[in-house]
Amino acid sequence: MNIEATKLEPAVVLKVSGRMDAANAGTFQRSCEEWIAKGSTRLVLDLSELEYVSSMGLSCFLVVAKALQAKSGSLILCHLRGLPKQVFEMTHLLKLFPVFDSPDEALRSFK
Amino acid sequence: MMPDCIVCRTFPAQTAQLASCFDFVHAGANAAKLDGEDINKLDLVLEELFTNLARYAYEQPDSGDVEVAYKVEAPGRMLVQISDSGRDFNPLASDPPDFSRGLADRPVGGLGIFLVKSIAESISYERNAGRNTISFRFCGSGRHVNDSP
Repeated sequence: MNIEATKLEPAVVLKVSGRMDAANAGTFQRSCEEWIAKGSTRLVLDLSELEYVSSMGLSCFLVVAKALQAKSGSLILCHLRGLPKQVFEMTHLLKLFPVFDSPDEALRSFK
Repeated sequence: MMPDCIVCRTFPAQTAQLASCFDFVHAGANAAKLDGEDINKLDLVLEELFTNLARYAYEQPDSGDVEVAYKVEAPGRMLVQISDSGRDFNPLASDPPDFSRGLADRPVGGLGIFLVKSIAESISYERNAGRNTISFRFCGSGRHVNDSP
Protein backbone atom coordinates (compact mmCIF):
# COMPACT_ATOMS: atom_id res chain seq x y z
CA MET A 1 0.00 0.00 0.00
CA ASN A 2 1.20 3.50 -0.82
CA ILE A 3 -0.24 6.78 0.49
CA GLU A 4 0.45 10.15 -1.16
CA ALA A 5 -0.84 13.25 0.61
CA THR A 6 -1.47 16.61 -1.06
CA LYS A 7 -2.73 19.62 0.85
CA LEU A 8 -5.35 21.39 -1.24
CA GLU A 9 -7.16 23.92 0.97
CA PRO A 10 -9.58 23.42 2.55
CA ALA A 11 -8.84 19.71 2.43
CA VAL A 12 -6.08 17.14 2.29
CA VAL A 13 -6.21 14.65 -0.59
CA LEU A 14 -4.78 11.23 0.23
CA LYS A 15 -4.21 8.93 -2.70
CA VAL A 16 -4.26 5.36 -1.36
CA SER A 17 -2.90 2.75 -3.79
CA GLY A 18 -2.42 -1.00 -3.72
CA ARG A 19 -3.67 -3.41 -1.07
CA MET A 20 -4.97 -2.45 2.37
CA ASP A 21 -4.98 -5.57 4.54
CA ALA A 22 -4.57 -6.60 8.18
CA ALA A 23 -0.82 -6.05 7.95
CA ASN A 24 -0.91 -2.40 6.85
CA ALA A 25 -4.37 -0.92 7.52
CA GLY A 26 -3.01 0.67 10.70
CA THR A 27 -0.56 2.69 8.60
CA PHE A 28 -3.49 4.23 6.73
CA GLN A 29 -5.28 5.04 9.99
CA ARG A 30 -2.17 6.64 11.52
CA SER A 31 -1.59 8.72 8.40
CA CYS A 32 -5.14 10.09 8.60
CA GLU A 33 -4.84 10.69 12.34
CA GLU A 34 -1.65 12.69 11.82
CA TRP A 35 -3.51 15.07 9.48
CA ILE A 36 -6.40 15.35 11.95
CA ALA A 37 -3.90 16.15 14.72
CA LYS A 38 -2.56 18.98 12.50
CA GLY A 39 -6.06 20.44 12.29
CA SER A 40 -7.39 18.96 9.03
CA THR A 41 -11.09 18.15 9.20
CA ARG A 42 -11.73 17.27 5.56
CA LEU A 43 -9.83 14.28 4.27
CA VAL A 44 -10.48 13.40 0.62
CA LEU A 45 -9.45 9.87 -0.33
CA ASP A 46 -8.54 9.16 -3.95
CA LEU A 47 -9.19 5.41 -4.14
CA SER A 48 -8.79 5.03 -7.90
CA GLU A 49 -5.78 2.73 -7.43
CA LEU A 50 -6.91 0.88 -4.31
CA GLU A 51 -7.10 -2.78 -5.36
CA TYR A 52 -8.03 -4.54 -2.15
CA VAL A 53 -9.47 -3.76 1.27
CA SER A 54 -10.37 -6.20 4.04
CA SER A 55 -12.44 -5.71 7.20
CA MET A 56 -9.37 -4.36 9.02
CA GLY A 57 -9.22 -1.59 6.44
CA LEU A 58 -12.95 -0.93 6.76
CA SER A 59 -12.53 -0.61 10.53
CA CYS A 60 -9.85 2.04 9.97
CA PHE A 61 -12.10 3.98 7.56
CA LEU A 62 -14.80 3.95 10.27
CA VAL A 63 -12.44 5.01 13.07
CA VAL A 64 -11.16 7.96 11.02
CA ALA A 65 -14.66 8.97 9.87
CA LYS A 66 -15.94 8.94 13.46
CA ALA A 67 -12.98 11.06 14.61
CA LEU A 68 -13.65 13.59 11.85
CA GLN A 69 -17.39 13.64 12.50
CA ALA A 70 -16.66 14.50 16.13
CA LYS A 71 -14.84 17.60 14.79
CA SER A 72 -17.65 18.44 12.35
CA GLY A 73 -15.47 17.21 9.51
CA SER A 74 -15.73 14.31 7.09
CA LEU A 75 -13.87 11.50 5.39
CA ILE A 76 -14.71 11.67 1.70
CA LEU A 77 -14.39 8.73 -0.67
CA CYS A 78 -13.59 9.28 -4.35
CA HIS A 79 -13.23 6.95 -7.29
CA LEU A 80 -14.07 3.70 -5.48
CA ARG A 81 -13.97 0.83 -7.95
CA GLY A 82 -13.48 -2.92 -8.26
CA LEU A 83 -13.37 -5.10 -5.16
CA PRO A 84 -13.11 -2.19 -2.67
CA LYS A 85 -16.34 -0.74 -4.09
CA GLN A 86 -18.03 -4.13 -3.82
CA VAL A 87 -16.85 -4.50 -0.22
CA PHE A 88 -18.24 -1.07 0.73
CA GLU A 89 -21.52 -1.94 -0.98
CA MET A 90 -21.80 -5.36 0.66
CA THR A 91 -21.30 -3.87 4.12
CA HIS A 92 -23.73 -0.97 3.52
CA LEU A 93 -20.98 1.52 4.35
CA LEU A 94 -21.40 3.82 1.36
CA LYS A 95 -24.33 5.58 3.00
CA LEU A 96 -22.08 6.58 5.91
CA PHE A 97 -19.55 8.49 3.78
CA PRO A 98 -19.77 11.38 1.31
CA VAL A 99 -18.88 9.79 -2.05
CA PHE A 100 -17.67 11.58 -5.19
CA ASP A 101 -16.45 10.47 -8.59
CA SER A 102 -13.18 12.38 -8.27
CA PRO A 103 -11.19 14.47 -5.78
CA ASP A 104 -11.77 17.54 -8.01
CA GLU A 105 -15.51 17.08 -7.68
CA ALA A 106 -15.18 16.71 -3.90
CA LEU A 107 -13.05 19.86 -3.67
CA ARG A 108 -15.53 21.82 -5.79
CA SER A 109 -18.32 20.83 -3.37
CA PHE A 110 -16.56 22.79 -0.60
CA LYS A 111 -16.83 26.08 -2.47
CA MET B 1 -11.32 -34.66 6.02
CA MET B 2 -10.90 -33.41 2.51
CA PRO B 3 -10.96 -36.01 -0.25
CA ASP B 4 -7.98 -36.90 -2.45
CA CYS B 5 -5.96 -34.42 -4.55
CA ILE B 6 -5.59 -31.91 -1.77
CA VAL B 7 -2.65 -29.66 -1.07
CA CYS B 8 -2.04 -28.88 2.58
CA ARG B 9 0.36 -26.72 4.59
CA THR B 10 0.68 -25.74 8.25
CA PHE B 11 1.46 -22.16 9.24
CA PRO B 12 2.11 -20.50 12.59
CA ALA B 13 -1.20 -18.86 13.56
CA GLN B 14 0.22 -15.36 13.19
CA THR B 15 -1.13 -12.46 11.17
CA ALA B 16 2.40 -11.94 9.83
CA GLN B 17 2.03 -15.32 8.06
CA LEU B 18 -0.83 -14.07 5.93
CA ALA B 19 1.36 -13.29 2.90
CA SER B 20 2.78 -16.84 2.98
CA CYS B 21 -0.75 -18.24 3.21
CA PHE B 22 -1.77 -16.15 0.18
CA ASP B 23 1.24 -17.42 -1.80
CA PHE B 24 0.39 -21.00 -0.92
CA VAL B 25 -3.26 -20.78 -1.99
CA HIS B 26 -2.44 -18.72 -5.10
CA ALA B 27 -0.78 -21.80 -6.58
CA GLY B 28 -4.21 -23.44 -6.46
CA ALA B 29 -5.94 -20.30 -7.70
CA ASN B 30 -3.64 -20.24 -10.71
CA ALA B 31 -4.30 -23.93 -11.35
CA ALA B 32 -8.03 -23.12 -11.18
CA LYS B 33 -7.36 -20.31 -13.71
CA LEU B 34 -8.91 -17.65 -11.50
CA ASP B 35 -8.27 -14.12 -12.74
CA GLY B 36 -6.76 -11.33 -10.62
CA GLU B 37 -10.09 -9.94 -9.43
CA ASP B 38 -11.26 -13.36 -8.27
CA ILE B 39 -7.95 -14.03 -6.54
CA ASN B 40 -8.41 -10.78 -4.58
CA LYS B 41 -11.84 -12.01 -3.47
CA LEU B 42 -10.38 -15.37 -2.47
CA ASP B 43 -7.64 -13.51 -0.53
CA LEU B 44 -10.31 -11.55 1.30
CA VAL B 45 -12.02 -14.72 2.55
CA LEU B 46 -8.67 -16.22 3.54
CA GLU B 47 -7.54 -13.07 5.32
CA GLU B 48 -10.69 -12.73 7.37
CA LEU B 49 -10.63 -16.37 8.50
CA PHE B 50 -6.85 -16.51 9.05
CA THR B 51 -6.62 -13.27 11.06
CA ASN B 52 -9.70 -14.20 13.10
CA LEU B 53 -8.04 -17.45 14.01
CA ALA B 54 -4.66 -15.82 14.74
CA ARG B 55 -6.35 -13.49 17.22
CA TYR B 56 -8.92 -15.66 18.91
CA ALA B 57 -8.27 -19.40 18.45
CA TYR B 58 -5.58 -19.79 21.07
CA GLU B 59 -5.23 -18.58 24.65
CA GLN B 60 -2.29 -16.45 23.61
CA PRO B 61 -2.93 -14.52 20.36
CA ASP B 62 -0.50 -15.36 17.54
CA SER B 63 0.37 -18.76 19.04
CA GLY B 64 -0.46 -22.29 17.85
CA ASP B 65 -0.79 -23.48 14.27
CA VAL B 66 -3.27 -23.25 11.44
CA GLU B 67 -3.59 -25.84 8.72
CA VAL B 68 -4.67 -24.63 5.31
CA ALA B 69 -5.73 -27.11 2.63
CA TYR B 70 -7.22 -26.65 -0.80
CA LYS B 71 -8.49 -28.66 -3.70
CA VAL B 72 -9.10 -27.42 -7.23
CA GLU B 73 -12.49 -28.93 -8.05
CA ALA B 74 -12.82 -27.52 -11.55
CA PRO B 75 -11.73 -24.45 -13.52
CA GLY B 76 -12.91 -21.47 -11.49
CA ARG B 77 -13.82 -23.53 -8.44
CA MET B 78 -11.85 -24.37 -5.28
CA LEU B 79 -12.59 -25.99 -1.96
CA VAL B 80 -10.56 -24.57 0.94
CA GLN B 81 -10.28 -25.77 4.55
CA ILE B 82 -8.78 -23.89 7.46
CA SER B 83 -8.39 -25.71 10.76
CA ASP B 84 -6.88 -25.15 14.19
CA SER B 85 -6.59 -26.96 17.51
CA GLY B 86 -7.58 -23.96 19.60
CA ARG B 87 -10.63 -23.35 21.74
CA ASP B 88 -14.05 -24.62 20.64
CA PHE B 89 -15.34 -21.67 18.63
CA ASN B 90 -17.61 -21.30 15.63
CA PRO B 91 -17.05 -17.84 14.11
CA LEU B 92 -19.88 -18.44 11.62
CA ALA B 93 -22.38 -18.34 14.50
CA SER B 94 -21.77 -14.62 15.07
CA ASP B 95 -24.70 -12.24 14.74
CA PRO B 96 -24.95 -10.31 11.47
CA PRO B 97 -24.00 -6.61 11.59
CA ASP B 98 -26.71 -4.03 12.23
CA PHE B 99 -26.67 -1.90 9.08
CA SER B 100 -29.38 0.47 10.28
CA ARG B 101 -27.05 2.42 12.55
CA GLY B 102 -25.56 5.77 11.60
CA LEU B 103 -21.85 6.54 11.62
CA ALA B 104 -21.69 7.59 15.28
CA ASP B 105 -23.30 4.35 16.47
CA ARG B 106 -21.84 1.92 13.94
CA PRO B 107 -19.38 -0.55 15.53
CA VAL B 108 -15.98 -0.42 13.83
CA GLY B 109 -15.64 -4.22 13.78
CA GLY B 110 -17.72 -7.28 13.08
CA LEU B 111 -17.71 -7.10 9.29
CA GLY B 112 -15.14 -9.80 8.49
CA ILE B 113 -17.28 -12.90 8.89
CA PHE B 114 -20.17 -11.15 7.14
CA LEU B 115 -17.86 -10.57 4.15
CA VAL B 116 -16.74 -14.20 4.25
CA LYS B 117 -20.32 -15.43 4.15
CA SER B 118 -21.16 -12.98 1.37
CA ILE B 119 -18.29 -14.00 -0.92
CA ALA B 120 -17.97 -17.75 -0.34
CA GLU B 121 -20.29 -19.91 -2.43
CA SER B 122 -20.87 -22.16 0.59
CA ILE B 123 -19.28 -22.42 4.00
CA SER B 124 -19.49 -24.73 7.00
CA TYR B 125 -17.93 -25.26 10.42
CA GLU B 126 -17.28 -28.42 12.36
CA ARG B 127 -15.62 -29.30 15.65
CA ASN B 128 -14.07 -32.74 15.57
CA ALA B 129 -11.32 -34.43 17.60
CA GLY B 130 -10.38 -31.17 19.28
CA ARG B 131 -10.10 -29.22 16.03
CA ASN B 132 -12.13 -26.39 14.54
CA THR B 133 -12.47 -26.71 10.77
CA ILE B 134 -14.02 -24.20 8.41
CA SER B 135 -14.59 -25.41 4.85
CA PHE B 136 -15.62 -23.05 2.09
CA ARG B 137 -16.17 -23.33 -1.62
CA PHE B 138 -15.02 -20.43 -3.76
CA CYS B 139 -16.38 -19.94 -7.25
CA GLY B 140 -14.84 -17.41 -9.62
CA SER B 141 -16.82 -15.06 -11.78
CA GLY B 142 -16.38 -17.26 -14.83
CA ARG B 143 -13.69 -15.05 -16.34
CA HIS B 144 -10.85 -17.57 -16.47
CA VAL B 145 -7.44 -16.33 -17.46
CA ASN B 146 -7.23 -18.51 -20.55
CA ASP B 147 -10.70 -17.67 -21.83
CA SER B 148 -10.79 -16.17 -25.29
CA PRO B 149 -12.02 -12.57 -25.39
